[in-house]
Amino acid sequence: MDNLFYAMAFVIFLTGFWIMLSHANLIKKIIGMNIMESAVFLFLVAIGYVRDGSAPIVTEASSAITYVNPLPSALILTGIVVSVSVTAFALGLIVRLYQHYGTVDVDEITRMRSEEQ
Amino acid sequence: MITAHIMPLTILLPLVGAYIILLFGSRHKILARNVALATAGVTFAMVCFITYLVSAHGTFVYHLGGWAPPLGIELMADNITAFLLVTFASVAFIVLLFASDVLPGEINPKVITRYYALYLVLLGSLLGIVLSNDFFNIYVFLEISSIAAAALVAVNGDKLAMEASVKYLIMSTLGSGTVLMGIAGLYMVTGYLNLDFIASNLSAAYAGYPLTVLMTLAMLVVGIAVKAALFPLHVWLPDAHGAAPTSSSAILSGLVVKVYIAVLLKLLYRVFPLDFIAALPLQASLLVMATLGIFVGSILAIRQKDIKKMLAYSTVAQIGYVFLGIGLFSEKAMIGAVLHVFNHAVMKSMLFLSAGLLIKYSGRREIADLAGLGRTYPLPMIAFSVGALSMVGIPSFSGFISKWYLGLGALEANQLLFLVVLLVSSLLNAFYYLPIVIAGFFKKGTVEVEKQVIPVGAQISLIFLIAATFFFGLFSNIPVSYIAPTIQGLFGMFGGV
Repeated sequence: MDNLFYAMAFVIFLTGFWIMLSHANLIKKIIGMNIMESAVFLFLVAIGYVRDGSAPIVTEASSAITYVNPLPSALILTGIVVSVSVTAFALGLIVRLYQHYGTVDVDEITRMRSEEQ
Repeated sequence: MITAHIMPLTILLPLVGAYIILLFGSRHKILARNVALATAGVTFAMVCFITYLVSAHGTFVYHLGGWAPPLGIELMADNITAFLLVTFASVAFIVLLFASDVLPGEINPKVITRYYALYLVLLGSLLGIVLSNDFFNIYVFLEISSIAAAALVAVNGDKLAMEASVKYLIMSTLGSGTVLMGIAGLYMVTGYLNLDFIASNLSAAYAGYPLTVLMTLAMLVVGIAVKAALFPLHVWLPDAHGAAPTSSSAILSGLVVKVYIAVLLKLLYRVFPLDFIAALPLQASLLVMATLGIFVGSILAIRQKDIKKMLAYSTVAQIGYVFLGIGLFSEKAMIGAVLHVFNHAVMKSMLFLSAGLLIKYSGRREIADLAGLGRTYPLPMIAFSVGALSMVGIPSFSGFISKWYLGLGALEANQLLFLVVLLVSSLLNAFYYLPIVIAGFFKKGTVEVEKQVIPVGAQISLIFLIAATFFFGLFSNIPVSYIAPTIQGLFGMFGGV
């Protein structure tokens, strides 16, 4: 049972990976990218999870309780910030591409470009 | 005090410079340019100082915030790291010197300020990747560098560059997502993010979870290979490097793809023990991909009509050399690979910059139209020729030295086949570089070009790069004697291969 999270994380990771590679629609690619990164975050959370552990806030009353590992959660916060900024930048670029070509489909864009030349 | 904190300051300085430029630069264009140049220059000086410290006192370690690892983040500079730092800071400074004179005519004046800021952010992240000894920290810098690099491609806002930039960003994120998964795996099995601590706990972890460790290594190597454009994961590179503004192409081809190789070096030589890697098919697959990359890159380069695309495909081939040197797992080949990171950075940025000048003044990008330009514009054409001859590997040029060491490494590893690969690929290089040089000087031009004055900064940077190519071709013992002891130490530690 403990490995279920890890296995699920990999399934989600590969789903995102597949979406990024197989879809021609740029927005869907970005969604795939986010799914993939969420999978990594899930994986990290699962690593840090300790069964019956509580939030790692040390007070005098609670010093004997087991805690979950706080480090992966801290890493994920950074990871989420990174992922949001990449997403924002990519969407910005896609908006500009849409203004130029009138489509967000990579195959369409490639076709239009080769017709221009 | 500054000596103790020099490493974090070196990473911080370009980032602060970028911030200042964004704050004040939009109103004072000249200020933006001067701040950018000054920041890059001082960063270069600081990196030289780190190099001196490392050679005087040995490996140099810094704990951020005073927290010793495994709790805190550690920065570390040994001889190889210092050598790579000098590579990045010097080439970045010279390219920026060029850009500060040439950019205003090339890209939209409104975005120049932002260009300088992005450039400095990129420089800071590159130095951060090289210096950091903490895996998650490396990941954060990797992401900063991929965003900044993709933005430097798209900065001008033209259609082709935007499309290439989106493609670059998506591939790059795929790569870093995979790398992050690998880092998470390493953290899961060892419980550390610091490279040295991971290394010392890895064999115990491998005994407990062999499959997880193997998968982690595979994910890290594949992720890095996507970002470093190892064949067949190079598909994004020619578009991005071909469509970007001149100075962006120079820095992307010269430095950005190399920084991932620096990560791979850390991974393979400091984290995973050599005997561990020797038991895997990793070496064979690196060598096969590198060889295919060298050939396919060269053959595709021959077929290109656009000069910048040709140079970009040539980068795919040259990355193959570096991976070949890493994959051979011998002392000499490793020296060759590290040297080639530097030599190729100098050569390729020189080629891109001179090609950019020729494109700017002739208004044409096709290789055939560059004929005869050597008479109107001798300096860019001479720089291009020096870069081309160095790429081919003519003795006394720096490109020869790295190929020489790669060849020695192939002999040392008893892999004679790769000696043949090196020779044949040199011939292929000659096949697509030399006709341009010959046509540039001796053929009559197809287009009439008016002679314009090349800005002083651009001239100085080209002369510097030409001088560096000759200097490190003739006095190659200087860099070799600097990095060789560390590399010998790496191989000695595991009893040699």
